[in-house]
Amino acid sequence: MRKYRFWMICVLAVSLFGVACGGGEEAAAPERAAAPEPAPAPAAGSGGITGVITYANGDADTAISMDADPVCVGLNAEGAETQTITGAEGKLANVFVYIKSGLSGSFPVSAEAAVLDQQGCMYAPHVSGVQVGQTVVIRNSDPTLHNVHALPTVNAEFNKGQPFQNMEFEHTFDKSEVMVRFKCDVHPWMSSYMGVVEHPFFAVSADDGSYAIDGVPAGTYTVEAWHETLGTQTMEVTVGDSAVAAASFDFAPAG
Amino acid sequence: MAAPKKTPDRHYDFTAMNKWFAWSSLALLLITIWMVVEDYAKPWKRLQAEFRELERQKLVEEAEAERQRINQEEIATIEEEIRSEEARLDEQEAELKELQDRLADLDDKVYEADVDARTTKSHLDTERYQYDAALQTGDPKKIDSALATLERRRETYGEDRITLEAYLEERDMVRAEIERKMAGLKEDEDRLDELRGGLESLENRVAGLDKSIDYFVLNAPLMDMLEPQLRIDQVQLPGLYQNINFTSVDRVDRCVTCHVAAARAGFDGEGWEEPFRSHPRLDLFLSSSSPHPYNRFGCTTCHGGLDRATNFARAGHSPINEEQKAEWKHDWGWQKQKYLDTPILPAQYTEAGCIGCHAGNVWTASSELQDTGRELMSRMGCFACHKIDYPAFTDVPRPGPSLERVASKTSPEWAYQWIEAPRDFHPTTWMPHFFFLENIVGELNEERQRAEIKAMVAYIWDRSEVIDYSDPPRGDESRGEDLFNTIGCTGCHLNDAEASRDDLFPQINRMHGPNLVRTGSKVDAGWLFAWLKDPKAFNPETRMPSLRLTDQEAADLVAYLMASRDPAFENLTQPEVDGQVRDDLAVVYLQNTQTIEQSKATLAAMSDRERDVYLGGQTIRKYGCFGCHNLRGFEDAKPIGVELTEEGSKPVHQFDFGHIHDIPHTRHDWIKTKMLQPRIWDHGKESVKDYNELYRMPDFGMSEREAEAVTTNVLGFVKESVVTARRADQRPESNALAEGRKLITRYNCQGCHLIEDQGQAIKTAITDPGMWPPNLAAQGARVQGDWLFEYLHDPASESMRPWLSVRMPTFGFDDHQVNMLLSYFAARENRQAFLSEPERPDRRSLTVGKGVFAMLQCAKCHPAGPVAPGAVSAAELAPSLLLAQDRLRHDWVADWIKDPLSWVSGTKMPVFFSRQDDGSYSSPLAQGIDLPMWSTEKDRMLRYFDSEEELKEYLADADNVTAALRDHIWWGLEGGS
Repeated sequence: MRKYRFWMICVLAVSLFGVACGGGEEAAAPERAAAPEPAPAPAAGSGGITGVITYANGDADTAISMDADPVCVGLNAEGAETQTITGAEGKLANVFVYIKSGLSGSFPVSAEAAVLDQQGCMYAPHVSGVQVGQTVVIRNSDPTLHNVHALPTVNAEFNKGQPFQNMEFEHTFDKSEVMVRFKCDVHPWMSSYMGVVEHPFFAVSADDGSYAIDGVPAGTYTVEAWHETLGTQTMEVTVGDSAVAAASFDFAPAG
Repeated sequence: MAAPKKTPDRHYDFTAMNKWFAWSSLALLLITIWMVVEDYAKPWKRLQAEFRELERQKLVEEAEAERQRINQEEIATIEEEIRSEEARLDEQEAELKELQDRLADLDDKVYEADVDARTTKSHLDTERYQYDAALQTGDPKKIDSALATLERRRETYGEDRITLEAYLEERDMVRAEIERKMAGLKEDEDRLDELRGGLESLENRVAGLDKSIDYFVLNAPLMDMLEPQLRIDQVQLPGLYQNINFTSVDRVDRCVTCHVAAARAGFDGEGWEEPFRSHPRLDLFLSSSSPHPYNRFGCTTCHGGLDRATNFARAGHSPINEEQKAEWKHDWGWQKQKYLDTPILPAQYTEAGCIGCHAGNVWTASSELQDTGRELMSRMGCFACHKIDYPAFTDVPRPGPSLERVASKTSPEWAYQWIEAPRDFHPTTWMPHFFFLENIVGELNEERQRAEIKAMVAYIWDRSEVIDYSDPPRGDESRGEDLFNTIGCTGCHLNDAEASRDDLFPQINRMHGPNLVRTGSKVDAGWLFAWLKDPKAFNPETRMPSLRLTDQEAADLVAYLMASRDPAFENLTQPEVDGQVRDDLAVVYLQNTQTIEQSKATLAAMSDRERDVYLGGQTIRKYGCFGCHNLRGFEDAKPIGVELTEEGSKPVHQFDFGHIHDIPHTRHDWIKTKMLQPRIWDHGKESVKDYNELYRMPDFGMSEREAEAVTTNVLGFVKESVVTARRADQRPESNALAEGRKLITRYNCQGCHLIEDQGQAIKTAITDPGMWPPNLAAQGARVQGDWLFEYLHDPASESMRPWLSVRMPTFGFDDHQVNMLLSYFAARENRQAFLSEPERPDRRSLTVGKGVFAMLQCAKCHPAGPVAPGAVSAAELAPSLLLAQDRLRHDWVADWIKDPLSWVSGTKMPVFFSRQDDGSYSSPLAQGIDLPMWSTEKDRMLRYFDSEEELKEYLADADNVTAALRDHIWWGLEGGS
């Protein structure tokens, strides 16, 4: 009897299922964008972007008083000055230039470690760039206490003391952020800026204001130039196959 | 008409009956089919099926991405390696084969040898027993023979063991050899598995969501007994009540039947829309590791709505605005649920749902709008007229200034102007407008209001004490400005004619005290000088602290503040008011207790001034001014507003919408409209109501955001529907937290300090971070109760950073208040407020501590005396460690040094000891000690160690080093070493 009833139900169910399906609306599969075509692994391009950063007002750096720490005074017999507005006549160094947008796909992380040194109670380099996930080696070359206090807004804050000469530690940033400021709380004049980006297409302008970004795949990009006090500027740049595009920036004096 | 045809033996028509039967069977069949369809085609089933499909697509995409991520080249390389490895092994096949044969052979041999050895062992045991038995008989022959047998057997057993061990050793060797040869292959295969593992698991999950034949069978109509995949998902919530038809029953939430992904992570990116989105902040809500896990709290406990509903309309969804309402009507068949008292809170008011459980805590961590709303309500003084029976609003002093001595401070003309329109003078003030609002129409009513204001001023001045102040000493305005901007006034006061409350929202700490713009047009300079010097002398209950100003400083500040004036508010006069209008108003009040004739006689006997004062007193009672201000004659008056403790549960039909129909008749719309236009419900009723019956709720000039923040709170004031044990924070120290937070709000500690990650409003006025008052995170773990007790009583007694220009004010707390603050800080850190005396450490620890103190160069930032070392700018310095022993908790110092950033984010104290993955800390000192520059320290420390290794081992342990540093700071700095 039980078995018989079960089969009755099944038969009824199957017949009603037809009715229900016929009567009701087919549960339409929701429309969503199909899985994107697998993007080909981006090949390192053969193009490049170069340019010169100009700045009319010239070097405006001021001398730093390191009296607070006699060790620092000893290390800088000739005196030291800020590295904010620096460069050859009419040129601007320490400008971080990078592709801000327009790239697609991901790029392998450079295996080479970036180095942030503390030398003569100054950070070297003052402005630099790394890739997300790239190792940064932070070294203290001075025989005095430094603390490396990174003040990111997107990445995690850290603040490590390096009391001994030649101490070093490694750090990697896991999110892109332009720029991460570093400071030393023991020597308040010390600061450094590091641009953390997803790709390897960035450069820092040299003393003669020039910079060069190589290996750029062909395409149209927004390039941004960042300076610690003069702000940022952007430019649209089209890079052809094996061609070098020019992107020069002129920074007007602040204010 | 022909008679119905009937067969002789029946009284009915057989054919007609057959027709009736046929039709009704057909109808029954159709109804049955309809029933089944209706039961089957539930909207939630469609949603679940849709989500299943979306999830499948998501997994497919993830699998694709994983395939992309897996470096195909790497896989190819590994596969290539595997192949070459296999080829290499093939070449060595013979050799490997031989090894494997040998292994098999050895396995056999080991087995045999093992069996032999065991057999021999059992014989041996028997023979040992026999020997023992022979010894018992005492028969030498038997003894000798048994002993000889036993000896032989021992020898055999020894040989067996040797054989077995030899085989075992050989087998291990052969195995190792085979493993060595195969190692390359195995490593490659492991790497391949690891690379492909993630992908495989994703592919398995996709397969689980494929629509196979079971899916269709299990989810077919009438198949519910077979455990379908599409089914109602519910959770029972004991102790969390829903009121259903006047009965409180445990909630049974079914929301996730449609909101399928609510408690699951990963469905919150672009393209995921309700009802398929993950709940925001899964670290706080729904996930099993959060404080509000789904299976303990469900959804409707916080969001409201009908817990058991599985239908969009019945669940009680509330649209955020008219636009969404129209959209929902179209898409989901939304309908207003007339009989549901607690519909789901509209999204903008969701935080109201926190209050039901969290009101006892005073602050609700992470509910920003609700927290801001509560602070606004404290500042605006809602509780002064409306009883609100929650800890944040009970036993709180009056929010406005005392008016018992106001005549010493300003003029009646200014007061008239102020009462008439407070925001004209101070756009940011919390004092609301009572007069000239939208329900007051007509010349007569306007004259009545002027008469009321004038009468109130007359009453206040009549009862106010007058103190005559002499002129203050001459001050310097620019020095005063400097002081104002640096000593801490800006934590509570603005001095800005352009400021607006909405611009500063939600940061309201700097509006704790009045905006000081136009002070020169308001107060008497002599009063201001005396007030700044000692606020409590003028008003013992004031929240204004003393900044311990010298006469000169106070005079400078007076010069600066009095220079801010506005001619529009000077040389004011009060308007002339029609005496008859005033008398008519007064008579109405007299008639409450007297006959018409008596009241006329009473009035006639009063002088002009007496009539003003009488009407003023009655008007103050009418508007409830005494709720916020201390006023003589109203010390025990009861607040005038309705109680709000359960306002969020008041049925919608009990709200008076008057003649207003274009505002949706919902609880939240009524409350918010009331905040923005408090008198709106009188529209069309102005001529119906008597003057004194018109709504009296004043206008606080709230912005849209402020109104929403306040509404969020009022909506959250609901009838209890959660058993006590299930409410938030039932720990014994909760009360200490609540009381502490009330004091912190009352005295605006967060105007200067960061407390529970909120506050430090003074940052907007003092830009140099080195000059900011401290973050009080971990305060209860950091400082000693005794020290904090003294410090809070008299902050001048001690100064951690004497170079700071900002001053910790003297609040004049009584012992009870200080103890409440102490208990608050201790409860925050789960510490006892007071601690026993530590023991003095041994010399070794002190010596190491002294050496490490030098090596880590602590003195570079921590001055050994009250003055800054060298030329480091004062703002960069750390507190003097000479205060440590009196101030810090002994059980905190080492923990702090070990990992400062974990206690206080943003601290300048660097991390010297890196936290390792296993939770321990590494120490750099074992390496540092070898530097030539620290040789003196090393020699000194070595005296207490047997060897250099021992010293280094000691220094490599962060626990030792931090404890030694603490001991040095505690005991070694005495006498300034």
